[in-house]
Amino acid sequence: MRSPYSARGATGALFFLGVVLCITGCGMFNPNLNYRALPVAQRQAAVQAVPFFAQERYQCGPAGLAMLLNWSGVEADAADLVPLVFTPDKKGSLQPALVAAARQHGRLAYAFNGVDPLLKELAAGYPVIVLQNLGLKWIPKWHYAVVLGYDLENGHVTLHSGTTANKTTDWRVFIRTWKRGQYWGLLALPPGELPASASQESYLKSVLGLEQVSNWDGAARAYEAALVKWENSLGALMGLGNSRFAAGDKDGAETAFRSAAQSFPENTAVLNNLAYVLAKQGKFEDALDIIRRAGDIGGPLAPVVRQTHDEILVMMKSNPEAAGP
Amino acid sequence: MHIFRSNPKPVACFVTVVLFVFCVMWNPAYASLVTTNEIIEMSQQDYAREKVNLFLDRADVSRQLEAYGVSSEMAKLRVASLTDAEVARISGQIDQLPAGGDIFSTLLIVSVVIFFVLLITDILGLTDIFPFVKKY
Repeated sequence: MRSPYSARGATGALFFLGVVLCITGCGMFNPNLNYRALPVAQRQAAVQAVPFFAQERYQCGPAGLAMLLNWSGVEADAADLVPLVFTPDKKGSLQPALVAAARQHGRLAYAFNGVDPLLKELAAGYPVIVLQNLGLKWIPKWHYAVVLGYDLENGHVTLHSGTTANKTTDWRVFIRTWKRGQYWGLLALPPGELPASASQESYLKSVLGLEQVSNWDGAARAYEAALVKWENSLGALMGLGNSRFAAGDKDGAETAFRSAAQSFPENTAVLNNLAYVLAKQGKFEDALDIIRRAGDIGGPLAPVVRQTHDEILVMMKSNPEAAGP
Repeated sequence: MHIFRSNPKPVACFVTVVLFVFCVMWNPAYASLVTTNEIIEMSQQDYAREKVNLFLDRADVSRQLEAYGVSSEMAKLRVASLTDAEVARISGQIDQLPAGGDIFSTLLIVSVVIFFVLLITDILGLTDIFPFVKKY
């Protein structure tokens, strides 16, 4: 028969273990990155010349964004970013506010989640702003830091964080605090530079943000860069045509839509946009020819195609001499 | 004319509502270029259906930001800088989103217990609160 003391001891030990697990969540069992799987050259990276802004109270968001913007060639002061980025009653900055502010400063905002993309971006020479929870899940202490580099052999990352420039933090500690922020990272790049880790889809979605703030020149440059990597991308070709058209470059728009039509001859969206741009240039014969082809194909865009067709006829009537023989 | 002059408010309201509905409902039909958003984010049918919701989402997010102390002008500028998909994702969630703010070790919950818990977890390398704890 067991003594009551050992039973109590076992219960106590279990209770203690339970408390520790509650406190730490599953942080204890975080998988460590198997850096030996990486080629030696990729086991460390350091981005040079990222200016440092010491944060004011609660202002790590504006400070971190100011560092990225200045690195990318935009002169911006952390204090000037506060109204755009900071949310007073939250005593902090929300992620979408950083995204919005980067776009307002003419930069491509590319957000991602994951350790692997972080390493890729740093190796490509791009600094990354990350959201960490330096505390615990139930005592959160949310914080933005700018990651400048990593050294997996020696197990540390380099950060501009808070009031400390070039702070060295243990890799495991960084990963645990970053995991609580869902491994969220953000790049602010000059339009035309491609994030190293981006898929075609995630990149094009980030370029939509440039269109959103009517940065048409920037968007066009970003789509051109996409076409270098992903030839014949429908989204990039259409985006390029739309951005050039919005910027007033009708010839350029026609060129983009024509190459889209070459690769996607049955796509009614492509034909619709090409026809519209041709009509806007007074090339009504071509425009009608193409919009009728789109009408024959039909599909879910049929109402839009019909609308464009009618609009071309109206344009023709109001501008008869340009219609030709 | 007499009715309009004696009841300016209801008439103004009516006109506002009509304009609003026209703006929202007629926009997609007038767009003669298919937008990149429609190509990349969603199909045309979805887009037309979502358009009204998205319009409301933007107003909603902007209102939430103002409730947290952001100026009305800045709230609108922020929302206007986000794509439809981004707005849809955060609409109604603002109170749950994390706001990165501080690194200084002055916690709001001043409690010895919390201090020790964080001290221990700092020593274990699970957290990174106190600069005086040497990590590894």
